[in-house]
Amino acid sequence: MLGSYLKVAWKVLLRRKFFTFISLFGISVTLLVLLVATALLDHIFAPEAPEVHGDRTLGVYLMTLTGPGSHRGGLPGYGFLDRYVRPMEAMPEVETVAVAGWPKIAVSYVGGRKVRSFLRRTDGAYWRILDFDFVEGRPLTAEDDREARFVAVINETTRRRFFAGQPAAGRTLEIDGQRFRVVGVVRDVSLLRIVPFADVWVPIGTARSDAYKRDFSGDFMGLLMARDRAGFPAIRSELDRRCLEAQRHIPDPQFDALYTGADTPFEAASRFFLGESFIGTRPPDVGWTLGYSRHAVWLRAVLFLAMVLFMLLPAINLVNINLSRILERSSEIGVRKAFGASSRTLVGQFVVENLVLTLLGGLAGLALAAAVLAGLNASGLIPYAHLSLNLRVFFYGLGIAAFFGLLSGVYPAWKMSRLHPAEALRGRSL
Amino acid sequence: MIRLHNVSKLYRTERMETLALQRINLDVAEGELLSIMGPSGCGKSTLLNLMGLLDAPSEGTVELAGRPVERFGDRDLARLRNEKIGFIFQSFHLVSDLKVVDNVEIPLLYRKMSHRERRRMALAALDRVGLSSRTHHFPTQLSGGQQQRVAIARAVVGRPQLLLADEPTGNLDSQMGDEIMSLLEGLNREGTTVVMVTHDPRLAERTGRVVRLFDGRQVH
Repeated sequence: MLGSYLKVAWKVLLRRKFFTFISLFGISVTLLVLLVATALLDHIFAPEAPEVHGDRTLGVYLMTLTGPGSHRGGLPGYGFLDRYVRPMEAMPEVETVAVAGWPKIAVSYVGGRKVRSFLRRTDGAYWRILDFDFVEGRPLTAEDDREARFVAVINETTRRRFFAGQPAAGRTLEIDGQRFRVVGVVRDVSLLRIVPFADVWVPIGTARSDAYKRDFSGDFMGLLMARDRAGFPAIRSELDRRCLEAQRHIPDPQFDALYTGADTPFEAASRFFLGESFIGTRPPDVGWTLGYSRHAVWLRAVLFLAMVLFMLLPAINLVNINLSRILERSSEIGVRKAFGASSRTLVGQFVVENLVLTLLGGLAGLALAAAVLAGLNASGLIPYAHLSLNLRVFFYGLGIAAFFGLLSGVYPAWKMSRLHPAEALRGRSL
Repeated sequence: MIRLHNVSKLYRTERMETLALQRINLDVAEGELLSIMGPSGCGKSTLLNLMGLLDAPSEGTVELAGRPVERFGDRDLARLRNEKIGFIFQSFHLVSDLKVVDNVEIPLLYRKMSHRERRRMALAALDRVGLSSRTHHFPTQLSGGQQQRVAIARAVVGRPQLLLADEPTGNLDSQMGDEIMSLLEGLNREGTTVVMVTHDPRLAERTGRVVRLFDGRQVH
């Protein structure tokens, strides 16, 4: 019987090619967008090399300073991180604390050609938290930073630009007006990985001025690698306490309150987009930790809702198309009922037909998504991105599409199957 | 074989009610060849639908092989139709997406049967109606007479005891109509009970009994 159903399903798909195209287009484009979006989200947030400890690392990514009539939202400064975050390494829950600058565009001239690179300044601990894939040499060390050695780790693209792809360890490059000796070369890391991404990494101590050392807000981030995730609440509470302490020592007199938090990258994004604490309306001594996790829950809920709404549109489209298709097959339904098909059997037949349609749309969506991701990777639109399909999301998406597809097929089939065969044969509508 | 007792059928719409059949009493014996005649709209097809369990009466009872069918559920009715009854429709009602042989297999899909056995029975039924050479054609590639023969093959492939034909020659010319009638007579000779709706007195004369309807009432 299944073979017969499949045969009819195929014929029905071919019978109304435009309807079939619309259905397949709806399913496949929905899955395509879903897959590309999740590939991007995975690429940004999922723990993967070099952030192999990402599941037990918190970051101090954002900071807000407020005062009477003043407000400054942005990134924390080295002064705050060095004085109040770095000492948290003494906590039993913390394994390592690192401080690193955010990447900045730096200009070089290679053979008369202008080269723009992303330059990041780091301490030595940064290289213990992140596990870069070295193709040459070694990482930066605490000594490099402390003694302000003009050494650099570069990525493969920078090696290609500056040294035509030849071994670079031991050679020097000039960037942003400073000369650095290359001590290591790592594989490229995507622009979307905000913690490890850069073209060139140099010690913080090589900065031209040491004014940054006093700043509470600036362009740095702190990384706190816990021994395990169970230590997160204690780390967050301690940071809250230290924020209160830091408030009394803000160098800029126009500010008297300081807000920050230890976040996962996803929580930081949640706080950035949704967090009221980020705009400085929550006092720092009340429930920061709860506030962060609540924002992350909200962002997840918003993303989930967006996904469901996005999938609902093709589902409604499918309902309408299936309704039309089934209505025009009332004679066939009548014949099948007359010759012994029960209502349940008929519903089963339409379930199979819709599954065929959904699976075809799903496969088309998978192929399209693979092509789009390959195109994105090849285009260089997102530097060094290696976006890949998330098959788990594909199967979830396909499952949801199948669910809506079944629902859209079963409902009209069930209504039609309840008609007396004589009415169906007469072509009576639902 | 089938007995209708005081059967009435009332169609209701939002605006009006139509009494299609009034207190019909009819007993069709096993092996009988019976025709139902009457003017258009007199309730012939409605009567046939009630006998074929395709519709339910508004009043009265229908018994098939001594069993009242009113209390049967959807699955039981489906099984009864599948095992006991075959249908031939005036407009054939073939599934245009399926080949001839697949159309004939439809009643067998709802039985526990292997694909090979289904195919063997379908081919035998097509051979019986003289369409062995058209098994892999689609219905639209056949003439009206050939399509009706496919419909007959589909109706008899499950070896039903009761064959209900609703104006089986209505869309055919007289020569083709004669051929179809001969097929029905042959099936009846082999023991199948045949009830046929027709407008054609010439065909009705070839049946053992004629039931006449007028305005929903049985007049003979």
